[in-house]
Amino acid sequence: MAEKPTKATIFTYQVGFGDCFLLRFDYASKQRHVLIDFGTTKLPEGASKNHMIDVANDIGEKCGGRLDAVVATHRHADHISGFATNAAGNASGDIIRGLKPKLVVQPWTENPKLATDSTGPAATRSPALRGYLQSLGFMHSIASELTQMLDSPSAKTFTPALREQLGFLGEDNLSNASAVKNLMTMAKNKYVFHGSPSGLDALLPGVKVSVLGPPTLKQTDTISAQRSKDKDEFWNLARLCLAQDAGLSAGVDDLFPHSPGIPGRKAPLDARWLAERLKNMRTEQMLQLVRILDKQMNNTSIILLIEAGSKKLLFPGDAQLENWQYTLNQPKWLKALIDVDVYKVGHHGSTNATPKSLWNNFENRGKPSKKDRLQTVMSTLPGKHGSEDRGTEVPRIPLVKALKSQSTLYATTDLGVNDRYTQLDLKFVETTRTARFPKK
Amino acid sequence: MERQLVNVQTFTVFAQDPSVKIAGRPVMATLSVPAEHISNGPTGYRVKVVDFDATSGKFYPPINYVMDSTGKVVDPFTTPRGDATSAKWKKYFETIIGSPAFHAQNVYAISMRTLARFEYALGRRISWGFNGHQLHIAPHAFSQANAFYSRADRALLFGYFRPRPGSKPVFACLSHDVVAHETTHAVLDGLRQRFMEPSGPDQAGFHEGFADIVALLSVFALEETIAALLSDGRKLKENATLKQKDVTWDALSESTLLRLAEQMGNALSDGRMRALRNSVLIKPSKSLLQQDAYLEAHSRGEILVAAFMRSFLSIWVKRIEQLSVQEGNLRSLDLVVEQGARVAEHLLTMAIRALDYSPPVDISFADYLAALLTADTELVPDDSRFEYRKTLVEVFRSFGIEPPAGKTTSNGVWNYFEAQTTHARNHYESMLHDPEEVFRFIWENRKTFELDDRGYTEVESVRASRRVGPDGFILRETIVEYIQIASVWSGELKTRFDIDVPKEIPNTAKVRMFGGGTLVFDEYGKVKFHIAKPLGDVPRQSEKVQHLAKTGFYSNPTEELEPFAALHRARMGG
Repeated sequence: MAEKPTKATIFTYQVGFGDCFLLRFDYASKQRHVLIDFGTTKLPEGASKNHMIDVANDIGEKCGGRLDAVVATHRHADHISGFATNAAGNASGDIIRGLKPKLVVQPWTENPKLATDSTGPAATRSPALRGYLQSLGFMHSIASELTQMLDSPSAKTFTPALREQLGFLGEDNLSNASAVKNLMTMAKNKYVFHGSPSGLDALLPGVKVSVLGPPTLKQTDTISAQRSKDKDEFWNLARLCLAQDAGLSAGVDDLFPHSPGIPGRKAPLDARWLAERLKNMRTEQMLQLVRILDKQMNNTSIILLIEAGSKKLLFPGDAQLENWQYTLNQPKWLKALIDVDVYKVGHHGSTNATPKSLWNNFENRGKPSKKDRLQTVMSTLPGKHGSEDRGTEVPRIPLVKALKSQSTLYATTDLGVNDRYTQLDLKFVETTRTARFPKK
Repeated sequence: MERQLVNVQTFTVFAQDPSVKIAGRPVMATLSVPAEHISNGPTGYRVKVVDFDATSGKFYPPINYVMDSTGKVVDPFTTPRGDATSAKWKKYFETIIGSPAFHAQNVYAISMRTLARFEYALGRRISWGFNGHQLHIAPHAFSQANAFYSRADRALLFGYFRPRPGSKPVFACLSHDVVAHETTHAVLDGLRQRFMEPSGPDQAGFHEGFADIVALLSVFALEETIAALLSDGRKLKENATLKQKDVTWDALSESTLLRLAEQMGNALSDGRMRALRNSVLIKPSKSLLQQDAYLEAHSRGEILVAAFMRSFLSIWVKRIEQLSVQEGNLRSLDLVVEQGARVAEHLLTMAIRALDYSPPVDISFADYLAALLTADTELVPDDSRFEYRKTLVEVFRSFGIEPPAGKTTSNGVWNYFEAQTTHARNHYESMLHDPEEVFRFIWENRKTFELDDRGYTEVESVRASRRVGPDGFILRETIVEYIQIASVWSGELKTRFDIDVPKEIPNTAKVRMFGGGTLVFDEYGKVKFHIAKPLGDVPRQSEKVQHLAKTGFYSNPTEELEPFAALHRARMGG
């Protein structure tokens, strides 16, 4: 009889605004460990400067010095910054590398070969694919230009709240070259998309892992009538404009060499009302552009449905509605998701990452007395992202309320300063639930 | 010598944009706009150009015009004489493209011309959609491939960008059609401010489609453009002629619409280029509007553009057929050009006049067709010569757009208002301009107008309209818009309005329902038309709620502060 795990444990590490989950599967005579994400953009108040190193060391201890696999759901800093290395070789990413994982799983969009020979799973060599990949690449340059601009004198006019929002989005999207390189080289790589093998099954005997997201462009096309070449061109132009924007603010570009213009502060009195409004609008617009690109990056998140023993675990990274849609539009997958036991709350509890059709579909939701009640894990830090006025605060208050009233919530916000993680133990009973699982 | 007052003054502008080159150079045009004592900017009585660039933080000094002895503004950018490929022309283009002052003149003249077109068609001054008289125009507002109208900023904002690093910048403010398009958004907002409210797919499509129609017809109404297109850049001989095969529907669509579309290489005109091309290439079909692909505002607007541009071609061909034929079945190019410009002018006037006969909320393409037909019938009862209305009906029908059944006559004109109203408590003179007086009239007659008690009622505008018909007589009318608004929770939709709650809508979403009507009073103060959109129209309201729910309006917290910014950014100035 094939080997099966007898229980599983989820360690949700305190990384402030970020994600870090260590999954442990216990077998009769061994343990297997998978690390899903390891990053932060803001540590909790009072955390030590070695916090991420401490977490990495703790992971090392938990897995006895050998990790079986790493899953990096997408490229945002709050999910991968912990994988960064340093020259001395003692950064948190070096420690993880030292745990010699056998496999690194990432979304198909991270495949370095895509950019050069376009052998992606989607429409090969299509302009749409090129545009899409470029847009993801642009995010880094936009983020870097944005953060540079925030340091320039022209950013003085931004309100503190806007500065903070822009700064946050900018930092999260900054290219984390060493983390990316580390992920690319620390083990065998597997780049996944909806319906592709995860590569984890072989490392986790008796565990079935299905990849539900991200969809490929071709898959997305089947659900989106709106996808058009306009958008790809738009990324291109948006990027160029922001690059120019940053350049112009620094005074390196002259639009009219023969008519240099005068500093805005010396503009005639009758021009100042509009000038002031334009300055504010420009910031808003930049924020919107960055938000669009940020969302696009979130939607490259891997969504994993892990079926182990009698339990189903759902790990969607930061996937937002557009990523989810391809799965949720298929009745067979909706059915497979009905009896999820553990749900990792998407995108740190933001309003747009737990689609209603997904949440309402969980039949294990219910009062505390409910048998086999749904369990949820959430890693987040309030007050960093979005605003309550606009209904975009993270975590979203109504969602947290629903999570608390209809599931057993394990959130990093409940941890004390000195707590390292929250632990969720899952014992498997001898029933198989594969009956509900769709045949491939 | 005492200065003479002149009625118009002329300015040099781009007839299309710098990228559209015919005979090796961009086409320039001389635009006539209402004469005025221009202040620095230019700042006039309706627009104020403020050349502030938010990206670089720079301000470009305003252009300061001088006037000649007759009181006419001297245009400092008149075109040089001589061969278009000469060094003089080359220098001229370098100068105007590198001069923010010319850019300011370009936006001033095109926007004033567009506004003047509306005022001419409607026979009155037109207010902007905000409190204030002068619309700001920022020709270099930011580095972004975008241009849009912002009601909150009382402004048209034009961006610029470099298509590739290091390449020459592309300026939205130099595209004739982009400037006309954005100005039209602002004018339309002044005439029907509720057309910017979230509604069914037609209303958003209408704003875009209408702005494109005005922009494109304005371009075709310039004889310079048509002549340049028809001659395909060849130098025109005097008394040039065209063969019969060159003036068929297909040939003209190829040589004008498609050729212009091909020339629009500027990414900022991309939307209009597509609309123009598609107006020839989209095969008319009655099912198009039902397809998902045509739910998005721009694609849907393209259908309206297609219907107009196809009508334009058909009527033009009809008018060419009536021209005298020279030996060898040849037609004078000058006359063909002139006829084309006239058709464009007339259709443009019709398109604008139709706004007065449009409902104040939730406009559908069908409503607009009825409004077009009514506006034209009122002024030109005899359609037999060039058959404008007959052609429009046929072409719109081929796209599945018919005048609203039950509300229009067999000619597609709005039904005349027959019910009796009481004026007993009103004063005639005040009824011509005073919203309070008109509101009292509506209130006293609310049963007759079938107002809904669930809504808050408000008169949004009272406008006088004077037009001269081809018979020389003046048609005087008063146009009144009233609206009704009710706010309900989504959970109440079924009980209050008998509307099934869409599954995409959160329970606590606030839903604003709109109703209202346009009242057209004749010169004796009698109601001629009541173009109503009842608040309690269940099928219409239901369709609208379903559409908005499906497109995520109720479920996504809106992060977009400027409605046109997002719409146009996605389409790059569309």
